[in-house]
Amino acid sequence: MKLQRYIKERAIFLSMNIFLFVLVAFFLWLINVQAVVMIIVFVCWFGPLLLSYGLEFLKRKNFYDDLLQNLEALDQKYLLPEIIEEPNFLEGQILYDIIKTTDKQMHEHVKKYKDMQAEYRDYIEAWVHEVKTPIASSKLMFENHKNEVTKGIMEELEKIEGYVEQALYYARSSSASKDYMVKEFSLQACISKVLKKNAKAFIHKKIQLQLTEMDDVVYSDEKWIEFILHQIIVNSINYCDNKISLYTRKHEHSLILHIVDDGIGIDEKDIGRVFDKGFTGENGRQYRRSTGMGLYICKLLADKLHLGLTIQSTKGEGTEVQIIFPKSKVVLLES
Amino acid sequence: MQKMKILIVEDAETLRNELQEFLSNYGYEVEAPDDFQNIMQYAMQDDVHLILLDINLPIYDGYYICREIRKNSEVPIIIVTSRDNEMDELMSINLGADDFIAKPYNTQILLARIENVLKRTYAHQQSSILLYKSLKLDLSNGTISYQHQQEELTKNEIKILHCLMKNKGRIVSREEMMEYLWSSDLFIDDNTLSVNVTRLRKKIESIGMINPIETRRGLGYILA
Repeated sequence: MKLQRYIKERAIFLSMNIFLFVLVAFFLWLINVQAVVMIIVFVCWFGPLLLSYGLEFLKRKNFYDDLLQNLEALDQKYLLPEIIEEPNFLEGQILYDIIKTTDKQMHEHVKKYKDMQAEYRDYIEAWVHEVKTPIASSKLMFENHKNEVTKGIMEELEKIEGYVEQALYYARSSSASKDYMVKEFSLQACISKVLKKNAKAFIHKKIQLQLTEMDDVVYSDEKWIEFILHQIIVNSINYCDNKISLYTRKHEHSLILHIVDDGIGIDEKDIGRVFDKGFTGENGRQYRRSTGMGLYICKLLADKLHLGLTIQSTKGEGTEVQIIFPKSKVVLLES
Repeated sequence: MQKMKILIVEDAETLRNELQEFLSNYGYEVEAPDDFQNIMQYAMQDDVHLILLDINLPIYDGYYICREIRKNSEVPIIIVTSRDNEMDELMSINLGADDFIAKPYNTQILLARIENVLKRTYAHQQSSILLYKSLKLDLSNGTISYQHQQEELTKNEIKILHCLMKNKGRIVSREEMMEYLWSSDLFIDDNTLSVNVTRLRKKIESIGMINPIETRRGLGYILA
């Protein structure tokens, strides 16, 4: 808050006073009043006036400067109402009340949407769990009555299963709550699970798998990592020529899991957008129907878990996905 | 060998029946009660070797049943549920379950898990030696022997021979064989399978037995 602007705003009142004083002074001069008296009149007139202006200015300056400083310092600007202090002058108090009221209303409004989202998420979660039982029983039925027809239906059913899983993790990733659990687990075991899940596809497409022995443990949510790996490996299976390799590299601050295939690769103009929502790219359109949700959800989950997820590709030669697990110093010391 | 008895505690009727049929096909004796009021009586039977337990059940939930069973029995329990977050898994294991499988499971994986848990629990009662004619496969030390001659096998070879011996007299397709290997963490491809089978044959021949593994073109392998 600047003094200059403060005075400017009160310019009319002040200039009126000065004008009146000049008028009075002129009148006093006409009736031959001594200069001393005039000075006394001036002091009596303007002394209290300026003093009260000064005090008022300081009071306001203190309040608003504080407020602005807090606003500057806050990461989440909307939290300002929580730390604002009640001022001791009228306009300030009015402003204070207004901010408090709108803040309260806003909270209620946001809460309403949070509740709605949580409710929707709960429903999706419950629904997904509900639908998994019929999928499981259908799979068993096909297993018990194997023939060419059921084999085809089985494959379709597995696709459904994949999409259902996607929906579940999308609901989980977009909710505001933290419902993942970070703990230590073996990366190899997690990869094994995903590979086993996709065994049929690997065997059917006669894909050569190069899996290097890994003894790494990572700290993250195992289920989420499993989902991310599944999405990436399914992509690799769909697009690879006949080879997929998985290996890890240790770096000073991180552990990187590389998933490399020798497939058709991704066009240079597309690669920056593969993690975008709904992006299918040329490959998705040409080779098979793709929803463009898989990698987008992976990225959301990875961000929540503070993992790096990058993709590199050379058209016609293959694609490499890297999952970067950060290692904190503490973890390093322990291991 | 005595048949292992599995108790299925599952409230979805279709799933229960199909699972019963499926496991029966794989040589298990299966009991699948639908009387959840008295479910504990079924669970406490002495001749049950393994329990497949769902979590969402009428009357008592799976966690409760699991805890109750653990109070006076060490029978292996595999929790099978569609609720698959870390929390549920951790809770199941804490309550004394031996394994946790999320629905909808891959049937090969389900079988592998059941087999693992049974092997772990009843290893001392079950012989780890399989016999075909006079070819012995000893799973405990990974060797084959034939008329006092012995040869060591690699992990892949053991599993291949194990798979053939379990299915003796029946053709095992290459895909079936590979699925079996994959379900036991051996991620081999088509070529490796051929190489391994060839090596296995050589090893069997090296201890004096005439090659028992026949290749049926376009169908698979058979231990005739």
